[in-house]
Amino acid sequence: MKILVTGAGGFLGKWIVERLLTHGQTDVRCMLRDTTKGAALEAIAARYPAAQVEMFAANLKNPAEIAAALSGCGMVIHAAAALKGSPAEMFLDSVVASRNLLDAVVALPEGTRPRVVLISSFGAMGVSELGRGAMVDEKTPMEMHPEWRDVYSYTKLRQEQMFWEYREKYGFDLVVLRPGVIYGPGGGHFSNRVGLSLFGVFAHLGGSNLLPLTYVENCAEAIVVAALAPEASGQIYNVVDDELVTSRQYLALYKKKVKSMRSVRVPYWLLMWGSKMVEGYSKRSKGQLPAIFTPYKTKAMWGGNKFSNAKLKGIGWRPVVSTREGLERAFAAMRLDKAVK
Amino acid sequence: MKVLRVGIVGCGKIADGHADVVQYLEGAELVAVCDREPILAEQLAVRYGIPKWYGDFAEMLEKERLDVVHITTPPGVHLALTRQAVAAGCHVFLEKPLALTAADSQELIETVVAGGRQMTINYWPNFDPPAMELKRLLASGVIGDPVHVEAFIGYDLSGAYGQALMGDAGHWVHRLPGKLFQNMMDHIFNRIVPLMPEVDPEVHAFAYKRRPEVRGDGTDALLDELRVYLRAGGVSGYGSLCSHARPVANTMKVYGTKSTIEVDFNNRTVVSPATQRYPSALGRLFPPFQMAARYFAQGWRNVGAFKRSEFQFFAGMSTLLGLFYQGIRTGAEPPIAYGEILRVVGVMDRVIEQVYPVNAGGGR
Repeated sequence: MKILVTGAGGFLGKWIVERLLTHGQTDVRCMLRDTTKGAALEAIAARYPAAQVEMFAANLKNPAEIAAALSGCGMVIHAAAALKGSPAEMFLDSVVASRNLLDAVVALPEGTRPRVVLISSFGAMGVSELGRGAMVDEKTPMEMHPEWRDVYSYTKLRQEQMFWEYREKYGFDLVVLRPGVIYGPGGGHFSNRVGLSLFGVFAHLGGSNLLPLTYVENCAEAIVVAALAPEASGQIYNVVDDELVTSRQYLALYKKKVKSMRSVRVPYWLLMWGSKMVEGYSKRSKGQLPAIFTPYKTKAMWGGNKFSNAKLKGIGWRPVVSTREGLERAFAAMRLDKAVK
Repeated sequence: MKVLRVGIVGCGKIADGHADVVQYLEGAELVAVCDREPILAEQLAVRYGIPKWYGDFAEMLEKERLDVVHITTPPGVHLALTRQAVAAGCHVFLEKPLALTAADSQELIETVVAGGRQMTINYWPNFDPPAMELKRLLASGVIGDPVHVEAFIGYDLSGAYGQALMGDAGHWVHRLPGKLFQNMMDHIFNRIVPLMPEVDPEVHAFAYKRRPEVRGDGTDALLDELRVYLRAGGVSGYGSLCSHARPVANTMKVYGTKSTIEVDFNNRTVVSPATQRYPSALGRLFPPFQMAARYFAQGWRNVGAFKRSEFQFFAGMSTLLGLFYQGIRTGAEPPIAYGEILRVVGVMDRVIEQVYPVNAGGGR
């Protein structure tokens, strides 16, 4: 079966290709906007000489380019998404791009449509409405107030909604995965769930909250296991690793393994009070300062939850790399990154 | 006060700025947005709590009975959308650049005038607090008559807007006859032209590509450094668009017969350079302290503006829209004279003729 991976050149995409090959898949089409950026994929492909790994230049913003990319594919793993940019750009790159992909999928005759595997996000869930310490799993409802969340979460919510709407309307085989915080070599140093750099000081906001971490290779493994599992059809899987660490533990390890830095712990009650102040001031001052903190966003990001990966384990997923080892590898890469800079 | 019903067509990046401003303006309500890509219209409406969104402009005009339409699309469709909006009885607020050519810009303004409506263009930096202070100083006579005006706009090709442009050879800015310059140089010439006599100025422009990389795609044709000399009567001007100097500056300087004023739009300062008042080396000790005192005073004025909540990023757009909407309600003149807009777009045409000769005339 030929498998199309969108966003194949990305942080997660590269590992999805690698795990597909590890699982014995032999025909992978890597969709990239710019095939000159496929060097890392070429290196992966070289390790699996028996497999056919094709670099395919296409931009999901151009509907005309998608049909050819889908041609002959029995599965599409949709990992392409915008992580930054203006809201309009992020919607173009994530939601409009997804709509174009879905239009191309449903344009195919019924019975020939590929299985569609969507990489959604924890951001699509309405965690703000949950109490502190509540369990977040696949039954957690989707976000009801995307306008009160960050734009990334809104794009991921709208994207996932659209996949379910299309499935409802046209009928095709859909699997949705919602990764937590994907980390690993080449990834970011800090999730906002740990804290933010504000005016040169690192404000530690996560405290004793568990971080919903998933090491990039484990996340890719989860995607591939679900993609290849017949029983995953129509299902959602949250992706988090075992032995999760708290925000405080992550920060302490970072300081020890990557670099020492000054941080100020902001307790949750103070953060909530500050968020109320910021939101109120932003309104009163007619947007003179942006409402980057609001009680709703704060509850969603720093409220603190428990996370389950039981459903994912039910279809046979096991972490390839332990959290301890994953953090070692990620921090080693960050240390190197810092030395280069 | 009559509450104006406002709609936006074109829900790209700059539409956020318009929604940010209109939501806090008294006497205006943002009731609908439209984009031919309905998902873009939807996301803008949801994020700002705007009641309606449309994928079809004619449908929005028909159903919403708007007083004002903000046209925030790429400039190639400004003229056509203006015709539709004016035919539906709307006043129009347009993003820069006004159209692809001066001729189209003139036709656009004539369409608005013939329809008995009003228009203005989003020259918002000219209504920011520093620009308003400069206008006050000019009117007070302390600068005297302008002799020479310099305007400098920095651009960051790796910044948020620059990346969107340089990462996508299909971006609409690459299809403008004057490419990046056409999208930015309104803000150079709309600072210089109003201080010149009301005749079309002499224009000498040159441009080049300073960045070394060649990508082998449509982005390569984009020049990134522009220098323009102008003269009209007794006033000369010099404008730059500069993509490589740091910090990315946004300034102007007016050399008058009585004094000189330096305006920094990013840092929000309007300061006149000190001159040596006292003789000898001792006298040369004073000016830096005088300058420090002037900046200090400006700092406190800015703190005052902040306390009064007048220090938003788009404070100038609030002021400009306030004046435009007021003109619509009362029938007063719009805030930017049409003749001034036309002289600015005339200069832009001549710059494009000189730096992108094959594209001149709208590339038609």
